Amino acid sequence: MKIVGIAACTSGIAHTYIAKEKLVTAAKELGHEAHIETQGTIGTEDELTAQQIKDADVVIIAADIKVGGKDRFQGKRIVEVPTHIAIKSPKALLNKIEEEIKK
Amino acid sequence: MMNVSDVLRADRIALDLNSDTKEGALEELTELLYNSGALTDKDAFLKDVLSRESISTTGIGNGIAIPHGKSANVLETTAAIGRCDKPIEWESLDDKPVNFIVLLAVNENDRTGVHVKLLSQMARKLASEETCKRLVDAKSAEEITAIFSE
Repeated sequence: MKIVGIAACTSGIAHTYIAKEKLVTAAKELGHEAHIETQGTIGTEDELTAQQIKDADVVIIAADIKVGGKDRFQGKRIVEVPTHIAIKSPKALLNKIEEEIKK
Repeated sequence: MMNVSDVLRADRIALDLNSDTKEGALEELTELLYNSGALTDKDAFLKDVLSRESISTTGIGNGIAIPHGKSANVLETTAAIGRCDKPIEWESLDDKPVNFIVLLAVNENDRTGVHVKLLSQMARKLASEETCKRLVDAKSAEEITAIFSE
């Protein structure tokens, strides 16, 4: 799968970045490609490009707060989870999404 | 070049926390931050940290917790690290107790600062199970700083 996503947590200090790292690592290990933008205290980093979004099979929003720029994903399949799901079991999350997409 | 050692001082790393409760450990680490000049008001900071804890767990699994406080009482955006011999119940994501705590202290007005970025880099390291294991097993403050600086 080609995945794009956003990670954002309440304080924007810790969970945002752990969630991103977990998702990217799990995706790599499972043979997917993932680009995850972080929206934290220090602002937006690794901002998704229009091309990345266009190519993506799915959008994963791992967030505990409202994220910015969701309009970029119009017409895309979007999966929204709290950050702790991405941190606790990133591989299970990706496997489940892959299964859903195949249906 | 920014380095994690800019936010992680040896005198803010304690390898022998005495507490066997979450509140106790957070108090000890807050004390460490206060005594080393990072806070103006330790009670207010602790209150911020505990209020963050009440929203959702900061126990991210693999024996590690990453509590944090963001407030005007923080003079210097930094971190305190504590390890305890007796594992502490932390309602972690993997249901396992915690014995390695990374307490992040962020100055409320330090929104784009390099120090916040360094803390986020530290948090990223904790996504790796391997790194978590090495931190829990680390023998000295220097070793911990080195692992975070990689």
